[in-house]
Amino acid sequence: MAAEVLRMIPTKESVELDDRQLVEQIRQGDDRAFEMLVRRKTSKVYGLCYRVIGNGEDAKDISQLVFLKLWENLEKYDATYAFDTWLYRMVTNVAIDFMRSKQSRDNAVNSNLRLVKTSVDPEQTVTVARKEVESVFNAVSNVLSPKQKTIFVMSEMEDLRSSEIAKVLGCRESTVRNHLFNARKLMQAQLRKRFPEYARLWEDSR
Amino acid sequence: MMTCHYFRTNLQPGNADAAMLEHLRHCDACLDFAMSVDPDLFFRSLGGEELIPPGGVDAFVGDVMSQVRVHDAEASLAPRRAASAWQRWAIAATVAAGFTGATIAYRYEHPVQAPAPAHVMAAAKPRPAATATKSFVETYSSHDATIVEMPNDGSDTKVVMIFDDKLPADL
Repeated sequence: MAAEVLRMIPTKESVELDDRQLVEQIRQGDDRAFEMLVRRKTSKVYGLCYRVIGNGEDAKDISQLVFLKLWENLEKYDATYAFDTWLYRMVTNVAIDFMRSKQSRDNAVNSNLRLVKTSVDPEQTVTVARKEVESVFNAVSNVLSPKQKTIFVMSEMEDLRSSEIAKVLGCRESTVRNHLFNARKLMQAQLRKRFPEYARLWEDSR
Repeated sequence: MMTCHYFRTNLQPGNADAAMLEHLRHCDACLDFAMSVDPDLFFRSLGGEELIPPGGVDAFVGDVMSQVRVHDAEASLAPRRAASAWQRWAIAATVAAGFTGATIAYRYEHPVQAPAPAHVMAAAKPRPAATATKSFVETYSSHDATIVEMPNDGSDTKVVMIFDDKLPADL
């Protein structure tokens, strides 16, 4: 009985507007609704930017740029589509553009530098530490193209299905699967080269 | 929350569902085990975490909102957005049509006389030199001059030849 009564009392979640309703309020000139939307999506947007870009400060700047673009283009949002798909599309476009310009800058700076291999004893015991996985990922994912990396992050870390990623990027599902396949291959090759102790995980399991 | 025992008993290679992944992403104790069963979970273990921008969510949201206000203020101060290509064409066509119409109306109210053909103009021109010559010749008088009048063949024209060293050159 008490549980039933509790269920009838509106909770914070039940009175919260969904994304589409918030967008509608923003279109009617409600700035507070936009603030609410930014607060709701900050973690999602920043998380994806951080995974793709690999740097907290850059990811923060890019996330803010995404929200500014969101504000400018909110009139173009078609409410028949999922808001998150539209938002992800904006994030990936801005992040990929940033990565491309960053890569070209880095290439110009590092053209005379050589990769120094990490010296590791291949026989040492593998103990996987979460923090280290992150730095390994940042190191080996540099070989991926911005689009490959974005697809890899959305698939492996954001747990989006290939069909959803295809919708976000406006391409075919088979294209997404190809990018994923190539990204995994490239990263495993990099792992073997630079982090042989982790590459042994794959070899041992076969 | 899934227990470590349940996770380790049920984890199969290539078969990690959302609940399995959630456990993996929060339990450091199971990380090593998960890698040994399915190495493809290596990078998947990174996902699922709520990432917070440096400085916190409040500061982030505050920054975004102030940027939005600056953007709006700039937009209200800036001149109206430039017209698109088709709008520019429409404006150009309207201006051209207006100019043509005004020209036609002006021409209608102020008709311009067509210039006469060249031979008509030439005929219409006064011939002051001939007139001057005639009056000059008729009154010409000099002791040194030899004046010869050509025989008249019945026409109105009289031809006179004057031989005189003092005769003006521009006669």
